[in-house]
Amino acid sequence: MTALATLQIAVYFGILLLITKPLGSYMARVFEGERTPLHRGLGWLERGTYRVLGVDPEKDMKWTTYAVAMLMFSLISMLFTYAALRLQGFLPLNPQHFGGKQMTPDLAFNTAASFTANTNWQSHSPDVTVSYFSNMVALAIHNWASAAVGIAIAMAVIRGFSRKSASGVGNFWADMVRGALYVLLPISIVGALMFVAMGVPQNFDPYTTVTTLEGAKQTIALGPVASQEVIKQLGTNGGGFFNANSAHPFENPSAVSSFFTVLLIWSIPAALTHTFGKMVGNAKQGWALFGAMAAMALAGAVITSAAEQAGTPHLDSAHIETAATALQPGGSMEGKEVRFGIAASALFATVTTGASCGAVNAMHDSFTPLGGLVPLFNMLTGEVIFGGVGAGLYGMIMFAVLAVFIAGLMVGRTPEYLGKKIERFEVQMAMLAALVLAASVLGFTALSSTVDLPKEGALAAVNTWPGSAYGGSDTVYGAATGNLNNGGPHGFSEIFYTYASATGNNGSAFAGITANTPWYNTTIGFAMLIGRFLMIVPLLAMAGALARKAPVPASSGTFPTDTPTFAALLVGVVVIVGALTYFPGLSLGPIVEHFRMHALATH
Amino acid sequence: MADSIFIAVTIGFFALSVAYTYGCEKLRGGRQ
Repeated sequence: MTALATLQIAVYFGILLLITKPLGSYMARVFEGERTPLHRGLGWLERGTYRVLGVDPEKDMKWTTYAVAMLMFSLISMLFTYAALRLQGFLPLNPQHFGGKQMTPDLAFNTAASFTANTNWQSHSPDVTVSYFSNMVALAIHNWASAAVGIAIAMAVIRGFSRKSASGVGNFWADMVRGALYVLLPISIVGALMFVAMGVPQNFDPYTTVTTLEGAKQTIALGPVASQEVIKQLGTNGGGFFNANSAHPFENPSAVSSFFTVLLIWSIPAALTHTFGKMVGNAKQGWALFGAMAAMALAGAVITSAAEQAGTPHLDSAHIETAATALQPGGSMEGKEVRFGIAASALFATVTTGASCGAVNAMHDSFTPLGGLVPLFNMLTGEVIFGGVGAGLYGMIMFAVLAVFIAGLMVGRTPEYLGKKIERFEVQMAMLAALVLAASVLGFTALSSTVDLPKEGALAAVNTWPGSAYGGSDTVYGAATGNLNNGGPHGFSEIFYTYASATGNNGSAFAGITANTPWYNTTIGFAMLIGRFLMIVPLLAMAGALARKAPVPASSGTFPTDTPTFAALLVGVVVIVGALTYFPGLSLGPIVEHFRMHALATH
Repeated sequence: MADSIFIAVTIGFFALSVAYTYGCEKLRGGRQ
């Protein structure tokens, strides 16, 4: 690792630490229903929204009511997006005249599921598929709503611990509105203006055609990029306005914007740990979670940066200088953001996969096996390394419940967390949430590694749906592995990464798989829905059960959960659960590829 | 036709998720 890489990582974590306390305290006030300075300007909008929706924000919901409200909201918004995408040819703000031909039914399902589930996986190239209207209304609505839903669920889970003998976990609509109005909106307005100042476009102009120095014609895509960019990163959504995502100079024009971007991604997830501490009445509890997340984040950034800076034996055997010098970055620059170098690409990859963001400023498919293993592992552990907005916190609380249970088994401590006894039901729900993710990742990876779509028979009909642009094209028949850019272990990694990204609601792609086919669009769509909603429901059930309980006083058998020891135990549980579940898959992919690379294998 | 299938599949998924919600609640009630 170079001194510059060390400096970048140190400065990044330093600033993140500085943001955590003030933003976390502010969010605690917002979600406890207290007045903040922003209520003076936005209070009328909050009250007006409740009036229009017919919602009483003071009405507490049982966890089942809370869950059903969240599910119904997600269903309706997903159907709205599906319809808007399919009908974009008849809707305004479409100077490129994109229509249903570009947005096929399976792609619309995939895209609607993706944005509803805060994943923003894009099987398509947005700059040649999606109209401005689709971008600004059908998709952007989810950039706000899915982020607000994530924060709302985290609040409900926190209340499971902070409330005593209560029947409810809060009001879903109030949590959503407050998250969108008082947290996402103000930061997005300031952030969008900052992006514009850095050179990100914000306009409704049609694409511009220019003549290059060689005399060729080139189309330059434009649009309302800055306003989309900020919520894409802040809401850990990750879907790019352009296909190249944050490697596109209009999304990410400079090293400063790249640094600002990675700060936006982890700002709310990191601050939510402090919100948690404040709401449960012990800030040290939040710092314990922050410490566990930061330790894993730091390890990931250092490993990725070091692995990429070390280069590959192939470069050495070709007598290519891989040392960093004053004139060259050294290491493996393939697929990296050449404007910013290895460290900024490695840090971006770690942050975007630790969160459920999925924005990329480098092609993860081109990373060395160990450098690519870190983003993959970040997603497989459930994206709890700060994680998605809200999703990272409730995922980490799931692991905290498992940690106190395991501590109880290992050292005979009473299984309690924050004064609430952890009993059979809570552990069942935490395990159900963990197992749903594993079943989706491993099940869909196994299916796509083996499925062979026949040209004749029932499955073949899937490829010739009326209205499909595929028109029975041969590219959608045959083995699903035929859509990979690589064979062998790297090809397996491409499939594994795809379903890890989809189930973890990350959305980043290894970029080595052609996923815009009916098979991949449909299965990835399901993986995203399962990873989002079938994980949230058991965690809300756990919160509901915990809220009902009266706290028990701490005793000599209580395992303190606000100490570095607990943070270390938590890291151990996350890593061990992740390793036990996914080690066979990782062995077949990046681990074997690492050894083959050192044997100078070329494919 | 394909649109109807995907709309039905979406509604079906969320309907099952609601059933899953009450299934979890029933599990709590049944075991404690």
